[in-house]
Amino acid sequence: MTAEQILFLLTGALILGSALMVVATRKLLHAALWLVAALFGVAILYAILQASFLAVVQVVVYIGAIAILFIFAVMLTRREMRDQGQQTRTNWWIAALLGLLILAGLVFLILAVPGADRLPAALPEGLDTVRALGNALVSPEAYVLPFEVASVLLLAALVGAVYIASVGKKD
Amino acid sequence: MTQSDLITILPLLALVVWACALLLVDLFIPKGRKGWTALLAAAGLALTMGLTLAQAGREASGFGGMLRLDGFSTFLNVLFLGSGLLGVAVAYGYLKRMDLERGEFYSLLLFSITGMMLMAQAADLIVIFLALELLSIPLYVLAAFARPRADSEEAGLKYFLLGAFSTGFVVYGITLVFGATGTTSLAKIVEVLAAGSLGTGSLLLTIGAALILVGFSFKVAAVPFHMWTPDVYQGAPTPVTAFMSVGAKAAGFAALMRIFVMAFPSLSADLTPVLWALAALTMFIGNIIAISQTNIKRMLAYSSIAHAGYILMALVAYGNPAVAADSVASALFYLVAYAVTSFGAWSVVMSLEKPDAKGLEINDFAGLGRRNPLLAAAMTIFMLSFTGMPPTLGLVGKFFLFRTAIEGGFIGLAIIGVLTSLISAYYYLRVVVTMYMREGEPQAEGEYWLTFTTVVTALATVVLQFLPAALFALAAGAVLK
Repeated sequence: MTAEQILFLLTGALILGSALMVVATRKLLHAALWLVAALFGVAILYAILQASFLAVVQVVVYIGAIAILFIFAVMLTRREMRDQGQQTRTNWWIAALLGLLILAGLVFLILAVPGADRLPAALPEGLDTVRALGNALVSPEAYVLPFEVASVLLLAALVGAVYIASVGKKD
Repeated sequence: MTQSDLITILPLLALVVWACALLLVDLFIPKGRKGWTALLAAAGLALTMGLTLAQAGREASGFGGMLRLDGFSTFLNVLFLGSGLLGVAVAYGYLKRMDLERGEFYSLLLFSITGMMLMAQAADLIVIFLALELLSIPLYVLAAFARPRADSEEAGLKYFLLGAFSTGFVVYGITLVFGATGTTSLAKIVEVLAAGSLGTGSLLLTIGAALILVGFSFKVAAVPFHMWTPDVYQGAPTPVTAFMSVGAKAAGFAALMRIFVMAFPSLSADLTPVLWALAALTMFIGNIIAISQTNIKRMLAYSSIAHAGYILMALVAYGNPAVAADSVASALFYLVAYAVTSFGAWSVVMSLEKPDAKGLEINDFAGLGRRNPLLAAAMTIFMLSFTGMPPTLGLVGKFFLFRTAIEGGFIGLAIIGVLTSLISAYYYLRVVVTMYMREGEPQAEGEYWLTFTTVVTALATVVLQFLPAALFALAAGAVLK
């Protein structure tokens, strides 16, 4: 096992463990902080894959903006910082069993793919990933259409969110 | 950007720009005169419809093959824009009456239609995913539009949570397909599959395709992914329900047909039994649970589930090259028949609906035959069309579906279809019996555009059946190549 693989496994454990804590903890603020940990783990994954730009974006956008926004929203809107309701239903173990079965099936499936246990090939020397990504996002032959559709989608979601938030109050 | 890019995206671009402009213009339209916003939204839809029709018969491909313009997309885009126009027509008076008149409604509607059109034109899994989101997110908000009414909030939240969950399935399916083939473009997936070098990756591909099927089965409300449908259809404001039952369903089927007929015919050996079971279950469960409903919106919701089953029946045979063209054509034909009938039935429901979700029990239709013969006659036509009885378009549509199933060799499925249609006659005709045979004093709304929609859809349901050949030829011209 190479150092890279060990790092990958550790990061994976960090991401999964923090993600589990996000749903398991009763304190909302703790959940938000665990989410930060999980997102940070994903940033490490990007770094392992040599996608340095995406790793930075992950930290700046997801941790720096979105997770902080979560924390603000929780602090500004909730008076009760603890979730009091019951967290599990009586037959949660059936769901857990099913989840494990599906996981086992997927692991089996992915291991069956040739090359699943190979390390990712190193990037060619001198390849500027940021430039390639930027070009792909604005080139009509590549991803300009999905890029623009995503912005329309965000606009629609924004209008919807403002409507939902504002309409409860009587103007 | 090349000329072919521009041609492919032109109607979409027009609608997006119009929707954004409408958002701004609406700010200057004073409260209480939102009829102008409705009119402008309708004008935008009509303009886009004009552009789409002007491009009819053209075939083009743009943005590196991500977007396609062909008969299939033109046919569906006309259907989406038509249902959008009807949606604006019925929403205008309804929003006013229910005190929900807000300009955002129309912009969100236009955004949702943009997503549907993108879905019909997309030839790349990434674009299909974004189109799915673009059509769904405005619908989540529209379902909760009657906020703070509790049932509307419940509808919006339920639709949002389950919708996000099902989108997760689609995305996961897409990643597995990408993992197996190394591309998200449908055309390139076909090339990779034709080269036949997939090996064990083909299992990955099958599972990916199955997950995509799960996600879209949710969108079209097929059993066992139908749980959200009755609650959402009941809680959402009725014009939204009408639009959702027609537009979102057609868009879901558009994606299913595009993905499966275009990219995955080679998987049909694995997927046909799954589709068979989905279709049979959907027809059975939708129709049987509908019998016990007393609320008309819930009954129509289960009916909408059942009709998804009938359309799925046509797609079961998609892998058989001799029948594939027919299966797409008959599904498209039935989507039109269902759209016209469904919009009509929902418009009658809106005529009788009172504020605070009153007037929605089937018993509230009692005496309509005497009080308002025109409305009762229209509702009778729609119920007959849903059942598949003459003299309506529903009969012709079901005929094509059954014929496709039998040609594909699925006689058992066709028999299930006929049997469940017989079951459905019970609850559809019960509405007719209630309207004509029972005493009551229903007060129907006589708003101009609502009556207009009812009359137009009723006429279309009756008249279009006399030209099935012409309509079917149009649908057959829209087949995927």
